[in-house]
Amino acid sequence: MKRIKNLFLSVLSVFVLGVSFSCTDKLDSQEGQLNTSDLDYTDTEDMIQPLLGAYSEFTSRGWEEPLLLGVRGDDVNAGGEGDQQPFADTDRFVYSKDYWMYNSLWAVHYNDIVNMNAAILQIENFKQFADADGVALADQYIAEISVLRAWFHLNLAKVWGDVFIITSNQPLEEVQDGPQSKEAVLQWISDQMDIAIPNLPNLRPNERADIPGGVTAYTAYAIKALANQELENYQGVADAAGKIINSGRFSLYPDFYQLFKKPGELSDESLLEMQYSDFGSETGDAVYHLYAPFGPQNWTPARENASSGWGFYEPSLKFIKFMLDRNESVRLQTSVLFTDRGITELKDDGYTNLPGLVSNTTPSGDVINDYARALFASGKHYLPSNQLTDGRNDYGAGKNMIVIRYAEILLMYAEAITHGASANGISADEAVNMVRSRAGMSALIGVTTDQVLDEKFAELAMEWGIRYYDMIRLDKYNELSYDGRTFTAGDELLPYPQAQVDALPLQSNAELNAIRISNELMINQ
Amino acid sequence: MKKKILLAIALFISFYGINYAQEKTISGTITDNNAVPLPGATIKVIGKDIFAVTDFDGNFTLNNVVAGDVFEINFLGFQTLEVPITGQTTYQVQLQEDAGQLDEVIVVGYGTQRKRDLTGAISTIDSEEIEKTPTSNVMQSLQGKVSGVQIVSAGSPGDSPTVRIRGLGTFQNATSVLYVVDGTLYDNIDFLNTKDIKSVNVLKDASSSAIYGVRAANGVVIIETKSGKKNQKPVIEYDGYTGIQRAQNVMKMANAEQFTTMAFESGSAADAQFVMNAMQRYGRSRVNPNIPAVNTDWYKEVLREGIIQNHSIGVAGGGESVTYSIGTNYFTQEGILDMKNEYERFNIRSKVDIDISDRLRAGVNTVISNATKYVPENAAWFKAYFAVPIMPIIDPLNTEASPIRFANAQNLGYRGTQNPFTDLTYNDNKQKIRKILASIFFQYEIIPDKLDFKTTYSHNLSDFEERYVNLPYTLGNNFERISSIRRVDNTFSNQYWDNILTYDEEFGEHDLKLMAGASYRDEAANTFNATGQDITGISLESSWYLNFADPESFNNNVNEIGRRYYGISYFGRLEYSFMDRYLLYATMRADGSSKFTKDPWGYFPSVGLGWVVSDENFLKDNEFIDFLKFRASWGKLGNDNVAASDGSNTITVVTAAIDDEPRTGITSSSVFSNNTWEVIEEKNFGLNLELLDNDLSITADYYIRDTKDAILPVFIPIVNRSVNQNSGVIRNQGLELNVDYNHQVNEDFSFSIGANFTTLKNEAIEIDNESGYIDSGSAEFRQRTQEGGPLFAFYGYERTGVYQNQAQVDADPVAVENDLAPGDLIYRDQNGDGIIDDQDRIILGSFLPEYTFGGNIGFNYKFLDFSMNFYGQTGNKILNRKRGEIIFTQDTNMDADLAINRWHGEGTSNTYPSSAGLRKSWNQRLSNFWVEDGDFFRIQNIQVGYTIENDNLPTTRIYFTAERPFTFFDYNGFDPEVSDGVDRQTYPIPSVYTVGLNIKI
Repeated sequence: MKRIKNLFLSVLSVFVLGVSFSCTDKLDSQEGQLNTSDLDYTDTEDMIQPLLGAYSEFTSRGWEEPLLLGVRGDDVNAGGEGDQQPFADTDRFVYSKDYWMYNSLWAVHYNDIVNMNAAILQIENFKQFADADGVALADQYIAEISVLRAWFHLNLAKVWGDVFIITSNQPLEEVQDGPQSKEAVLQWISDQMDIAIPNLPNLRPNERADIPGGVTAYTAYAIKALANQELENYQGVADAAGKIINSGRFSLYPDFYQLFKKPGELSDESLLEMQYSDFGSETGDAVYHLYAPFGPQNWTPARENASSGWGFYEPSLKFIKFMLDRNESVRLQTSVLFTDRGITELKDDGYTNLPGLVSNTTPSGDVINDYARALFASGKHYLPSNQLTDGRNDYGAGKNMIVIRYAEILLMYAEAITHGASANGISADEAVNMVRSRAGMSALIGVTTDQVLDEKFAELAMEWGIRYYDMIRLDKYNELSYDGRTFTAGDELLPYPQAQVDALPLQSNAELNAIRISNELMINQ
Repeated sequence: MKKKILLAIALFISFYGINYAQEKTISGTITDNNAVPLPGATIKVIGKDIFAVTDFDGNFTLNNVVAGDVFEINFLGFQTLEVPITGQTTYQVQLQEDAGQLDEVIVVGYGTQRKRDLTGAISTIDSEEIEKTPTSNVMQSLQGKVSGVQIVSAGSPGDSPTVRIRGLGTFQNATSVLYVVDGTLYDNIDFLNTKDIKSVNVLKDASSSAIYGVRAANGVVIIETKSGKKNQKPVIEYDGYTGIQRAQNVMKMANAEQFTTMAFESGSAADAQFVMNAMQRYGRSRVNPNIPAVNTDWYKEVLREGIIQNHSIGVAGGGESVTYSIGTNYFTQEGILDMKNEYERFNIRSKVDIDISDRLRAGVNTVISNATKYVPENAAWFKAYFAVPIMPIIDPLNTEASPIRFANAQNLGYRGTQNPFTDLTYNDNKQKIRKILASIFFQYEIIPDKLDFKTTYSHNLSDFEERYVNLPYTLGNNFERISSIRRVDNTFSNQYWDNILTYDEEFGEHDLKLMAGASYRDEAANTFNATGQDITGISLESSWYLNFADPESFNNNVNEIGRRYYGISYFGRLEYSFMDRYLLYATMRADGSSKFTKDPWGYFPSVGLGWVVSDENFLKDNEFIDFLKFRASWGKLGNDNVAASDGSNTITVVTAAIDDEPRTGITSSSVFSNNTWEVIEEKNFGLNLELLDNDLSITADYYIRDTKDAILPVFIPIVNRSVNQNSGVIRNQGLELNVDYNHQVNEDFSFSIGANFTTLKNEAIEIDNESGYIDSGSAEFRQRTQEGGPLFAFYGYERTGVYQNQAQVDADPVAVENDLAPGDLIYRDQNGDGIIDDQDRIILGSFLPEYTFGGNIGFNYKFLDFSMNFYGQTGNKILNRKRGEIIFTQDTNMDADLAINRWHGEGTSNTYPSSAGLRKSWNQRLSNFWVEDGDFFRIQNIQVGYTIENDNLPTTRIYFTAERPFTFFDYNGFDPEVSDGVDRQTYPIPSVYTVGLNIKI
C-alpha cells in the first residue's frame, strides 16, 4: 500500500514538474501580433507596401485640416454661423490656442510625418536585401515619401512659422532644442527636394504605371517651388517651376468645371492629388475624405438620397463680386454654389444684372436650397450627385482632392518673374494667358504682380488657403481686412495649440521676449 | 472491493461479538441551544481513530470508547466542545453558537483561516446582506457595505459595476479585480446568481492578496458558493422576486421657451432662424406665440419603466460521504431606455463533493450560464440631451422619412438629425453570452490531519457572440442609411491547474501551517468580426445573417485578433501562531508571465503580524474589552493587467485607393514601450476590537499603498499618441473604519446598527517625465497627473465669477485684452502676472471620492424583519461633458439649470456665462464651470420581510425591497455615479422596487 502511494506521489510530482518545465518555454511566445521585426524583408516584392501605406496616410486627412488651412483667406468665410464659433473667430483673426482644430491640425500632421519616417525605415530594411534594381527602387520610394513628408512640413511652417523638423520615428530627441525657424524649415524642404529629385521618375504623375498619380520628380519640383515662394526666393521659384513647364509634360485640363469632379481625376494638370474611391461598388470598403463640411446644408440633389453638407466653407461675397466684376464665368460657376438667399444678397449689393450662371441650380442639375448658416458653398469641393456611385450617399463620396496643379505652377512662375526672377522658359505673360485662356478670359500683355495675384485669386480660390498665404507673404493686409475684419501683422500665424505647448519646448523666441519685457516692466513699476 | 466489504463486515461482527470489559458504545444527540438537532456535526475521539458524523436528527454513535476518553464536536458556526466520556451511554449535547464571528473560518487564497488569526485586512459579507439587492451582479450588492471598496453602479442591464479596491493605483483595467470563485479565477462574475453565494471576502491589503501575485494588484474578491452538508436532509429552496425599475432624478432639460430664449440671446442669426423655421413648420404655441408649438422633453420620451425578475430553485443536502448542492436560476431585467434593451440569464449549477475513501476526496463544480443581452444605444442618452425641444418625435410633414416619419432636425436647419428615436428604433444590438465553467479537484491526505495534497483543474469557456443590426431608414433631407450587420465572435478559453500541498502541525502552544503550490495558467482569447452591408430581407429577423449581405461589402471588413497568454507560478505560505496570541503570516509567490517579454519573472513576498492583546494576562480579566487584536502587514503585488508593451512595433494593413483600384499597403507603428512589472507595495495597520459582550465590534485599518513603476498613458507629442509606460509612483492611502452593533434584546426583538467610513487620498508622488506631469483626457478637456496631485485630475482655470457690466469689463485689463463682454467668465490669475494664460491653470479635482461612508440599521421583531442601508460619497468631481460638448457644436439644447441660471443681465448669475458667452472660446476653456461636485447621499436599500412559520406550511418569507429609492445630489446630470468622472452618455442608474418570496422545504 505504502509503495503504491509513493509511486503515485512520485509519478505525480514528475508529471507536475514535467508540465511546468515544458510550460516555461511558452512564456516567451507572443501570439496574435505581427512585430515589425518579424516581417520578411528579403521579399523585396513587398517593398512597395510601406510606400502604399504612406500614400494611404497622406490621403487620410481630418475634415478640419483643409478647412483650417484655408479659412483665413479673403476668398472664403467660415460659414456654419452659430456653430463652431472659434472656427468663425479664426476666420476673423481671433485666435484661441485652446481650440481643438488647431491642435488636431498640428497633431495629425506631425503624426503623419512620423508615419512617413517609419515607412522610410521599412523600405530601408528591404533595401538591405535588395539587388541593384531593388536598391534603385528603394531610393525612389524613399524619395517619394520624402516629398509627401515635405508637404506636411510646408503646411506646418505656413501656419505656425517656427516648427519642428522631424526625420525619425523616435522624435523626442529632435524636439529637444525647440522649433526651427520658419526659414530653416523651408530651406530644409527645398534641400530635401534636391536630394529626392534624382531618384524620382521624370514622368507626369498619371504616367506612372506602378502607382498612377504617385509622386514624381515634378511633384518634388513643385514642392521646392512652393517652399522657395514662401522664402521669397523668387529665382528659386522660377527655376523649379521652369523645370516643370519646360518638361512639356503638363497641360491644363480643358474643362475647368469637370477638373474638380470625377472626370478630372488624375488629369495631365495634376502634380499631387489625394486619391479617394469606393471602387465603383455600392457597399464594402471605401477610401473617402469627409467633404460634408464643404457642402451646402440643404439641397435637392439630382440623384435622390445624396447627402448634403454642413455649410462650413463659404465663398466670400468679396470673391464673388471680384469675379463678377471681371466677367468671369466658368471659374465663378466652378468655384461657387449659389443659394437664392445668396443671390438676393448680391442683388441687394447692387449686382442686379447677374449672368445666368449665377443660379441655385448647378450645371449638373443639383438644386442648392437656402440654409441659415451660409449664403454660398464651395464648388471646387462639390461632386455632382449624379457622379456618385449608386448606393453611396456621402457628400462628395469618392472624389479626389487635387493638392498641386499645373495652373498654380504657371501662376507661381509668372509671379516670380514679376518679382524680378529671370525666366528660364516661357514668359510670365505666356504662363498667365495659358491659365486665362482655359477660363475663357482674354490674353494680357505685360502682366504685373498684382495682375498675377488677381489671376491666382480667380483661378485658385478655395484651394488650400493659397490666397491667404500669398497675402501674408506679400503683407497685403488690406486685402485681408475685408467685411469688417482688421488684419494686422500679428495675425499672420496661429498660436501654438495649448496641448502642444504643454507637451513640447514650444516657447518661441517672440513669446520669450514678450515675457522678458513684461517682467522688466513689472520690475520697473 | 467485494473482499474489502466482507472483511469489514467480518471485523464488525467480531468486534460486536467479543465484548471487551472496558470498551463500550455510546450514543447521543447534538442540538443547538434551542434544541434544534444539528445534522452533519463531526465527532472525533481525541487521540483515537474514532469518528462519527451526526445524522439528520443530530444522532450519533461512537463505538469502542472507554470511560475517560474525550470526544470533540465540531460544527460550523458553533463553538467547538469537548465532552469527557463517563459511565453514561447517552449524551445530550447542546452547542453554543460562536460568540461574535471570530471563530468563523473564512476562505483565503488556497486555503482557509480562522478570522481571529487574520493579520491582514479582509472584509466578509455574508449571503443575507448580498441577497437584499435585486441585481444580476453580486458586486453591486456590496455598494456602501465595505469600507475601502468603491462600487460604481452600471445602469444598463447585465453590465458589471466598476469596482475599485483601495483607490486607483494604475490606469489600464484599473478596476479589473480578481474574483476567486470556489478556488477558480475569473475576471468577471456576471454569470453568478447572487442567491448561490454563501459569502464574499474582499482581500483588501497586499499581505492577504499577495498569494495571488500578479493577478492581485487591483484587489481580490473570494467568493464561496453554497454547498450541502453531510447527513443533511435535502432542503429545497425557492427564492423569487419581481419588480419595476424607474429612473430617478430625471434631468430637467430646457423647454421650448427656455431654449428659444437662449437661441435669441445667443446673438447667432442662424439659431434664431432655426426657431423661426420650427414655428413655420410646427406652428406657434398658443400660450406664447413667440415660441414653437412643439415642446419635447426628450429624456422623458426615451425613458420607460423596466421589469426585473429573478427566480431560483435549488436543492442542497448530503449523505455519509457525499455533499451536493444543485440549482437553477432565471434572471431577467429590462433596461430603462425605451428600446430593445434587456438582459436575460439562465443558469444551471451543481457542486458535488465525494469522499472516495477516508483519505481521498474529489469534487466537481460546474456552472452553465446562458445569457442574452440587448445592448442599449448609449448615444441616445447623449442625443436626448442634445436634441432641441422644438422638434417633435414624429413629424407627419416629413414624408420622405420611412418606415416611420421621425422628425429630422436638419429640416429646421440644424446640422445633425438629432432625433434619438432613430437610434432606439432602427438598431438591434444583441449579445449572446454563454459560459461553461467547470472545475474538478482531487484531494489526498498523505498523512491524516497533517499533510494534504490537492490538485485542481478548471476551465472557463466563454463564448460571446455579438450581433449589431443597423436597419435601413430614410429621414428626409436626403438622409438614407443602408442596412448593415456587424458580427463579432469572441471566444475565451482560460485554463488553470493548481497543485497545493498543505502541512499542519501543532506542538504545545505552537500552531504551524505550511502551504506550497504551483499554478499553471493558459488564457486564450480570439475575436473574429465581420461587417456586411445591404442585407437582403432585412425586414425579417430570420435573415439577420451575414449570408444575406452583399458579398462585396465584406471587403476589408473582416478581422481576427488572437491572443494567448501563459503563466506559471510557484507560491508558499507560512502561518504560525504562538499561544493563539502572537500571529505570524508570510507568503511568497514567483510569477512568470508571457506578457512581460522583457522579464517574465516577478517575485512577490508578504508578511503579516498579529497580536491578540485581549488574551494577555493584563487584559484577560478585563470585563470591558472582549477582544482586541493589533495587526500589521506588508506585501508586494504585481499587476499583469497592464500592457507589457504598448503601442509596440507592429504592422497594420491599410488600403490606398490608387487610380480607383484598392491597393494594399502597410503602415508600422513605431512608438512602443517595453514595460516592466508594475509593483504594488502596501503597508497595512489595523485593529479589531470587540466590546459589550461582543455586541459591538470595531475594525479599523490604515494603509499606504504605493504603485511603483506605475504604467500610465504618457502622451508622446509629435507622434501624437499616448503610450502606456512605467512612469512613476502612485500612492493611495486611507483609513477604513467599520463599527457594528448587534443586540438581542429579548427572544422577540433584536436589532443591529452598522456604519463604515473610508477616506482616500490618491496622489502621484513621482512622475518620471521631464515635465513632471502626464496629460490625459482630450486636449479640450484636459486631465493631468502631476506630482503631488491625484491621478487624472481635471486641469483648467478657476472661475471666480462673471463680468456683470461694461464698467467691470473696462476696468479689468484682462477683459480688455481678450475683448470680453458682460456675461463672460472671470478667471483667477493664479500667478498674478496680470494676464490669464496657460500658466493660470490648476488642478480642479479628481473623480475619486475623498470620503465614502455607508451604514445600515435593521431589526427583527418576531416574524418581522426590517433593514435599511445608506451610502454616500464626497470630494469627487464630475466633468459635465454633456454641457461641454457645446464647444464642438452649438446646435444643441442644454439642461434647464444652465438655461435658467445663465447670466442675462447684471446680477443674474455669478457662475454661469451668458447664452452668447457659451459660444465664446474664452468661456469654453476647461474651468470649474464645466467641472462639478459629484457628492451624493443615497438611501441604498430598504427591505421589509415577514416570515410565516406554520407547521402546515413550509418556511415562507415575503419581502419588499426598495433599492436606491432616494439619491440626493447637486450635480447637473442624471446621476452622480460616473465611473471615470467624464459624463457624456452615462446610463442612469434606476431605482428598483421589488416584492419577493422565499420558501424552504
